[in-house]
Amino acid sequence: MKSYKELPDDAGSNIVGQVTAQAKRVNQRLSSVKHTIAVMSGKGGVGKSAVTSNVATALALQGFSVGVVDADINGPTIAKMMGVRKSKLEYTSAGVKPAITSLGIKVISMDLLLSEDDAPVLWNAHSQKDAFTWRSTMEVGALREFIGDTEWEELDYLLLDLPPGSERLANVVELIPSLSGVVVVTIPSDVSQLIVKKSVTMARDVLNVPIIGVVENMSYYVCHHCGESEPLFSNDDAVESAFQFTLLGKIPFDPKLSQCNDSGVPYIQQHPNNQASEAIVATVENIKKYFNALS
Amino acid sequence: MKFLCIECETAMKFKDVTRPEQGSVTAVFECPDCFTEIAMFLNPSETQMLKSLDLKLGGTNETAQPMQMVRSQLQTGKEDSVPNITSQIEGSETAEGGKCPFTSVISEAYEEESEPETDGLSWTQDALERLERIPSFVRPMAKMGIESYAKDNGHTEINAEVMDQARGNFPAQF
Ligand SMILES: Nc1ncnc2c1ncn2[C@@H]1O[C@H](COP(=O)(O)OP(=O)(O)O)[C@@H](O)[C@H]1O
Ligand SMILES: [Mg+2]
Repeated sequence: MKSYKELPDDAGSNIVGQVTAQAKRVNQRLSSVKHTIAVMSGKGGVGKSAVTSNVATALALQGFSVGVVDADINGPTIAKMMGVRKSKLEYTSAGVKPAITSLGIKVISMDLLLSEDDAPVLWNAHSQKDAFTWRSTMEVGALREFIGDTEWEELDYLLLDLPPGSERLANVVELIPSLSGVVVVTIPSDVSQLIVKKSVTMARDVLNVPIIGVVENMSYYVCHHCGESEPLFSNDDAVESAFQFTLLGKIPFDPKLSQCNDSGVPYIQQHPNNQASEAIVATVENIKKYFNALS
Repeated sequence: MKFLCIECETAMKFKDVTRPEQGSVTAVFECPDCFTEIAMFLNPSETQMLKSLDLKLGGTNETAQPMQMVRSQLQTGKEDSVPNITSQIEGSETAEGGKCPFTSVISEAYEEESEPETDGLSWTQDALERLERIPSFVRPMAKMGIESYAKDNGHTEINAEVMDQARGNFPAQF
């Protein structure tokens, strides 16, 4: 009897061809994007999305064309932070027209597809059990469509705001073989660094993705009365000692940054001369330096 | 997936798909030499797998719409983001060769299922009113859960009491 390998095709379904076509669609879309950067952390709440939206804004203020993919499918915050939550997506034969910020940054997020403010992401399925079993597969499919079906056109930078942890990074690497690298966001506490080291090891050693550098967020607090800097967490020079990577920037804690995230006008746009903005600009300069050194 | 006609040592070809029943799909394959036919049944979970991966049995759909997986599979999505599946079906039906209306069939299987089979279950008026109070985006799931609880426990009528019992079974509040 003939074996699997001896049969010419899969009876006409061409499953392999379909998967290849999906991958091709993503690659074609990204062929006009110069640099694709994934923003990652170990834990949630360290400021990944805040860093992503402000770095994107800083780049746009310098005249670069920028896109942002909110890859946090279940916890989307980018649309709100960048003030495009009310935008309507437009579907055309060429793809999906993304939301566009006042500075021209193109944004795609699950938030733009959900029906109501408090609606969680729920998928159609035959049973509840199936819906949860296939959840992660659906999420990767959603991410593939976000990257591959959005009309990015020519971009200098495409930033991906990942969910916490390194799990999604493996999918991103599979979807985007040309991923330029990873920016890691952490806060100077032992707990955060312990977890972030796992993510870094996963990215660098298992997935072989270049690490562009580390951003230390909420590094210190500037007293509004005396102007002195105070550490927010106990471990103040942790980043340098814990990582062998370039420290891209140390962003101070500033309550205004949090207010801006809530109001939808990026901090760096509203307070360009504050210390945290200087740190964000320094981060951007270091990211550019990284790419210049490569070329 | 490949199928071999053992008699002829020939690869079978995808032929047809029958109407879906309760989330499952039946595909028919035929031997091009002796015309023997076999039927393959996909259970709801297998059908779900294909949907989740946005793959179509019997061939690709060239007129794939942008973000079609997310837009058609997201239960809590915006109304205006639902893709225009009809034109897609027409596109695939008129396509040549191995192309088939599988997309539509699998979608139909789910549309049927999104209003779950009631299997002789009836809802009392106050149970229905309580169901209405559940936020719209969790309602289908909650309804499914209550009905399967009722079925498993031999109830034929869903009233407030059955709902109370079922509530302990899953997270949605109602
Ligand atoms: N440097 C900062 N100063 C003040 N608030 C910040 C700073 N960075 C982040 N935040 C706030 O902390 C919270 C978590 O940040 P977020 O970017 O959502 O984290 P993540 O994306 O890593 O989960 C948000 O409310 C955000 O506004
Ligand atoms: Mg976030």
